Amino acid sequence: MIGDFKLIIIDENLCKGCHLCLFMCYKNVYAISPEVNKKGVQLPFVKFEERCTKCGTCEVACPDQAITVDLPENWWMNEDVNFNPLFTRHGK
Amino acid sequence: MSENKNRFLPYLREDRLPHIFCPGCGNGAIINAFLAAMEKADMDFDNIAMVSGIGCSSRIPGYLKCDSLHTTHGRALSFATGLKTANKDLDVVVFTGDGDAASIGGNHLIHAARRNINLTVICINNNIYGMTGGQISPTSPKGSFATTAPYGNLDTPFKLAELVAAAGASYSARWTTVQMENLVLSIKAGLKNKGFSFIEVATQCPTYFGRKNKLKTPTAMAAVMKANTVFKSAADRMSARELEGKIVVGEFANTQKDEFTENLERISVEKSGKKTLINSAYSTEL
Ligand SMILES: Cc1ncc(C[n+]2csc(CCOP(=O)(O)OP(=O)(O)O)c2C)c(N)n1
Ligand code: SF4
Ligand code: SF4
Ligand code: SF4
Ligand SMILES: [Mg+2]
Repeated sequence: MIGDFKLIIIDENLCKGCHLCLFMCYKNVYAISPEVNKKGVQLPFVKFEERCTKCGTCEVACPDQAITVDLPENWWMNEDVNFNPLFTRHGK
Repeated sequence: MSENKNRFLPYLREDRLPHIFCPGCGNGAIINAFLAAMEKADMDFDNIAMVSGIGCSSRIPGYLKCDSLHTTHGRALSFATGLKTANKDLDVVVFTGDGDAASIGGNHLIHAARRNINLTVICINNNIYGMTGGQISPTSPKGSFATTAPYGNLDTPFKLAELVAAAGASYSARWTTVQMENLVLSIKAGLKNKGFSFIEVATQCPTYFGRKNKLKTPTAMAAVMKANTVFKSAADRMSARELEGKIVVGEFANTQKDEFTENLERISVEKSGKKTLINSAYSTEL
């Protein structure tokens, strides 16, 4: 980690604690926090960031849009892919 | 920094989030898969109109910042057919549940497929009626439990992707929420296909299907789904008995055929020249 740069961000306000991110990540990057937050959710947290291969699967698999992985080279962000620039690269 | 924001949020009505779906419900991930596919297919989000029926899964369009029609139970495809016929330049996408598409809407489904009308249909198959409290649906596996099947379901379920392919759709596929990459690519193929495109997504309803079938957590459901998945190429070499209880994933149709709205336009031009149905109705505005 450099400064406040984070590879993976989990939004506490959106996460419902389904733990599918743990199941879907083939590198076991995530772990479950033993504590419960104010919404009664046991949040996942990034335990082994260095294992992350930036595949982006957890981001798509999170049903609550709570995960952001900072990865321009993520598999579905490849160059051959054309994005709607209005909505992705530069915010709204 | 905007780069550090979840990349699906800009398409969603953030004021309505978190959405109403239960923790671990597959509906949310299917939204992401659709958005990723839409980007991959280079579609214009503003040209998309979404249509849905009634059910938990049919609430999906309500969370997206595009035009949408939330219609009556089972009739999403009828409204979508009307919309597409009236304005064939719109990209019409239908979100429908297994109950919505296959029980009350079953006839609309096979006839829309038969006509090969250019719609992209994402069928969220959680094997149960989620919204109304866990009743058996036409896709509930044999032996599964539900509010209306306390001794286990005795009927043989529909295989939707195969049914739709047999009915005449030019694209039909089945994937699950644990194969995100395949699912995204398949939705992309469906969006690009000029004809009826049906993508069945086997997904988890932990609240009703899960609780009734001793799979209480979303991860337990996902693990069972993953373990029961067989690729079509492998399934083609397996016996019916070996395939019992399995989810066969892959493409069941991917062909080119005449498309309904194109046919309609061709005949309209052929018979009435420029004075087509739509042109004459809106002639002053055009
Ligand atoms: C004409 C009509 N009949 C019945 C209902 C009750 N009803 C609402 S949703 C639903 C089933 C939904 O199941 P499905 O389409 O599988 O969606 P899910 O909630 O599982 O995503 C039923 C029977 C209704 N709303 N309208
Ligand atoms: S998949 Fe998303 S909602 Fe579920 S636990 Fe992980 S971050 Fe939370
Ligand atoms: S991007 Fe891939 S490897 Fe990294 S945490 Fe997510 S699923 Fe795991
Ligand atoms: S009842 Fe089932 S289908 Fe409906 S939101 Fe909950 S988990 Fe999803
Ligand atoms: Mg259902």
